[in-house]
Amino acid sequence: MTTFDPAAFPPVPHGHQYEDFEIGQVFEHHWGRTFSESDNSFFTTATLAFNPRYTNAELARSEGHPRELVNPMLLLCTVVGLSVEDLSEGGGPFLGVNECAFPTPVYPGDTVTARSTVLDKRESSSRPREGIVTWRTEAHNQRGELVLSYTRTNLSAKREVPPG
Amino acid sequence: MALTGEGTWFEDYPVGRRMRHVRGATVGEFENQMLTKLVMNTAQSHWNEHSMERSPWGKRLVFGLVTGSMVIGLTQQDCCENAIRTLGLDKMRFTAPVFHGDTIYAFSEVVESSPAPDRDDAGIVRFRHWGTKHGLDIKGHRVDGQVVFEGEQIALIRRRPVS
Repeated sequence: MTTFDPAAFPPVPHGHQYEDFEIGQVFEHHWGRTFSESDNSFFTTATLAFNPRYTNAELARSEGHPRELVNPMLLLCTVVGLSVEDLSEGGGPFLGVNECAFPTPVYPGDTVTARSTVLDKRESSSRPREGIVTWRTEAHNQRGELVLSYTRTNLSAKREVPPG
Repeated sequence: MALTGEGTWFEDYPVGRRMRHVRGATVGEFENQMLTKLVMNTAQSHWNEHSMERSPWGKRLVFGLVTGSMVIGLTQQDCCENAIRTLGLDKMRFTAPVFHGDTIYAFSEVVESSPAPDRDDAGIVRFRHWGTKHGLDIKGHRVDGQVVFEGEQIALIRRRPVS
């Protein structure tokens, strides 16, 4: 009879850490995402976001849209989500988002893909086990139109912890 | 009956107006775990309790943008019911951890108001939003009204229709 030894199974690594980032480096993020009607209505109602342009197709049509709009917070959350494995899954708190723009509306049925560039990395004076990394992220729809851009900053865990 | 209320047109948001949004929302498994997975966030600190047992927090953390989305969601009927588009966000900060069971409230202030450059029927309003929580801090102590999120939203809002 053999005993099961989990240590005999090497972990499959995911994510990057502070040392992995170089200023100017570009990440083309995995998967992409087609937004469905249910994604949009589920997210919008779960967050109580009662602008009827996200839930009433006829009202959206009356303002020139082909149908209801995807809630921009769902778009932002999803693009951040798609970027997490490349940028922040290695550990470290989310500090902030600046200069987030939604230049083109997104509708159910649209597909977005995401890409990020490392803008800055620097040491944290108060947290030697982490550095501070800033990325510029852009998302495009299936026609190549920019639908979202923002700058995001995180603490990023170091692989090598400095002595002391 | 109109589809939207009477007090949410561009003219209703003079600079300096402050609003306390009276409905709060408790963040639980549904809001955090489900929405974090819905948006394909692969960071298991939001949905693997075991992975967090030996972390400084000791339990799962609510994804910051779920907190931000709840705060901005709670503002929408009062601030953006007649918003043609949310044009952007800025200065979003996640100032304290949020845990399952915490209840979030939202506050808003109008910081800028200007005519839309390309249309007569709408204007652009910049709101500053705050989110607070009632629940437990990292040590398990009760907190009431701790600020967990701050951020700005820029929205294109319809002017009051001429009747």
